Amino acid sequence: MKKYSVFSLSLSAIILSVIALILYDPFLLYPRFFDYIGMPGYQAPPQSKPKPEVAEVTVCDEQYPEWRKAYNIGGVNIQPSDACNPDNPYEVAAFVLGTNNVIMPVLMRTQLADDAVIKTNDIDGDGDPDDIVIRVEVAELNGRSPDDEGFIPSFDIAPGVQPGAWVFAPKSRGMSTINREEMKANHLLRLPSAPIRVEAGDNVTLILENTHYFPHTIHLHGVDHSYSNNDGVPQTSEKMTMPGEQHVYKIKPRHAGTMMYHCHVQVQVHFMMGLQGLFIVEENKPNNWVQTFNVGAGKVRQPSVAVQESFEQEYDMHYQAIDTALNNLIQTSNDPRQLAKKMNRLYDITDGTDDYFLLNGRSFPYTLRESLVSVEANQHIKMRVLNGTAEVLALHSHGHKATITANDGVDVNPVAQVTRDVYSVSPAQRIDLDLYTKDDGLHSYGEGIWLLHDHAERAITNNGIAPGGNVSQIIYRKYLNKHALPSGEGVDIRPYFSPEYYKGELPTWAASDAFGFFDDAGGKTIKSFSDVLLIIVLGMLMGVLFLLFSALYSLLHDIAVKLKDRQSL
Amino acid sequence: MKPLLMALLLIVCCSHAQAAMRMGDWGMVMNENSTQLPQGCESIENEETLLVKAGREYAKPYPGTIFGYNQHEFSFAKCTRVEVTFINEDDIRHQFMIHGLPSYLHPQGMFHMELYGRGEVRGIFITPNTEQTYLAHCDIAQHTEKGMKAQVKVGGGDGNLPSIPGISGQLNRDSYEFDVGFQNILLLIVLLVLGFSSSLFFFIWHKK
Repeated sequence: MKKYSVFSLSLSAIILSVIALILYDPFLLYPRFFDYIGMPGYQAPPQSKPKPEVAEVTVCDEQYPEWRKAYNIGGVNIQPSDACNPDNPYEVAAFVLGTNNVIMPVLMRTQLADDAVIKTNDIDGDGDPDDIVIRVEVAELNGRSPDDEGFIPSFDIAPGVQPGAWVFAPKSRGMSTINREEMKANHLLRLPSAPIRVEAGDNVTLILENTHYFPHTIHLHGVDHSYSNNDGVPQTSEKMTMPGEQHVYKIKPRHAGTMMYHCHVQVQVHFMMGLQGLFIVEENKPNNWVQTFNVGAGKVRQPSVAVQESFEQEYDMHYQAIDTALNNLIQTSNDPRQLAKKMNRLYDITDGTDDYFLLNGRSFPYTLRESLVSVEANQHIKMRVLNGTAEVLALHSHGHKATITANDGVDVNPVAQVTRDVYSVSPAQRIDLDLYTKDDGLHSYGEGIWLLHDHAERAITNNGIAPGGNVSQIIYRKYLNKHALPSGEGVDIRPYFSPEYYKGELPTWAASDAFGFFDDAGGKTIKSFSDVLLIIVLGMLMGVLFLLFSALYSLLHDIAVKLKDRQSL
Repeated sequence: MKPLLMALLLIVCCSHAQAAMRMGDWGMVMNENSTQLPQGCESIENEETLLVKAGREYAKPYPGTIFGYNQHEFSFAKCTRVEVTFINEDDIRHQFMIHGLPSYLHPQGMFHMELYGRGEVRGIFITPNTEQTYLAHCDIAQHTEKGMKAQVKVGGGDGNLPSIPGISGQLNRDSYEFDVGFQNILLLIVLLVLGFSSSLFFFIWHKK
């Protein structure tokens, strides 16, 4: 009896499985099934899901739009800037004149410490100061808080994207955050580390004040400097600067050019965490008050005398990449001992892959807010490009072919200068480009909004979702709207400003797809007679399997009882 | 009329606060208050002094911190005038900033002392007529997170703030591995055996 029922149960299971398969998709059993039964009937694929609701986004979070105009503060001529959030002109004035030479109301409109940039003594009598003291601190961005899930001080590189980072920043005062309620970093604390400018021949005292919790140094990459206690390499020239200590670097650079500075402690970690910046030595000229820091890089609002002689505008372009497997480690623990182990010994850069690609500290679409190269026709624009990533940068300009004027701070012989639209820049390399906006079919193809980006395709994404990465634009001014943002003829850019887009929750073309051709497909629903039958058959199959298992159980139980009986005999 | 009065009051407060700001190449003291009485205080009832030293030296007793104060809790009675002497023992910037104070005395509720490097500065504030615990810290973000954080209890305070070194625990806790050293493992085994045998003993004894 029992054997018979097990046999019949097994047989039913097989029959039910076959019925279920036929009901689900007979072609799974035999691909040429239609030879016998004819073509399958039309089954409508599921409807599209409704388009997701996108919260209202802020395209330009403008705070001081009046800062965009030209200023004259304390005799410093500050060029207009077309950024959504332009550099604070009072800060620019304080950097040009020195925080010791500006009046209190100017300094009060910045968050700089009084001793951030000290400029004194016109030694050569050429109308500009020659003893320059520059103080930099080390700040953490998007770090962990022992009390809160949010990161502090927070810095968004793209909508909803807050990777951990460290930066060199001008010495500041007051709170790290913009106020007590918001954890947002004050604007001096940001990626990239601020570009530093000095004049050739200046007595520069660069003081690293290590406000961070790890040891650091400064290596003046490519800048003329003596070796001893000055090269920033812990294995050769000097001891590391520990937390709470400072180190004084003294230089008198003889050669002008676009150089770099970076931390040389555990370089594979500290460099990639963001402790790298442009260091520009300007040519020595009379009355040459250079803008010591250019916070956030981008447009230089007070270019040096030599740059102004040949160019209408100057832009600092600092490219960086972020591997969240490294950068977000600082968000996993608050204990520096654990962080030191995770970052220096457990993280392996040889297995690393970059996730985010930054131009001047932000990824698209935030590059539109502050890293547009805004031009007029027939201008010469100087672009100082630094590749701070660990891969080659393939910098491509739409509609323009720029001319290279310097490699690693050394001028290219004018006869040998090349003009091209993709420049490959190796890691840590700098190139100076002359972007000439003359509509001659070579240097420029005319007015418009022209993209400017790394053509290594991963770099135009935010963690794989495009458009993102280091995409920016060469934009002719008439294409800017009143918020200093591009008004193009293409798709609506607003969806890119919502965090959901980069989480992959919005269909890529949702905003331009009125027909809903590319909306997300919905799931299958139970709607036909055979669907209903299929589910019932599956239910029956479950029942049969349950009975089979219980038969198996009673069999095992009987065996156990028999064994026990035998023992007790 | 009331908003107008409030606005006037604000202007007076703010101008007062600006007058109370001292700044130089040494650092700054902001929103000091040595004379204005907090609401509900009849008079200055006590005079106290407070010595706050800041530096990495003071992180030593608390593993996992890098910066600290010589003391992480300060207690005062209500309506007390406190003269703070703030000393920075590092070659970098440090702050002693108290938050949440009455904003009619301190704009943004903040009393702020900052030294750009080694040095010493004095500043005065008057404790309000409340029982409250105030946060005092160095607002260089990573200094707060890495130990430079204290609490000021006025009138006994209203409990502890989180993650004050030596006083209270973290809300967003760090996790650590289990130590597999000989002593720790031995202690672990002994305690486990103790628990195991006591439960066995209990059930056997119960059955009898």
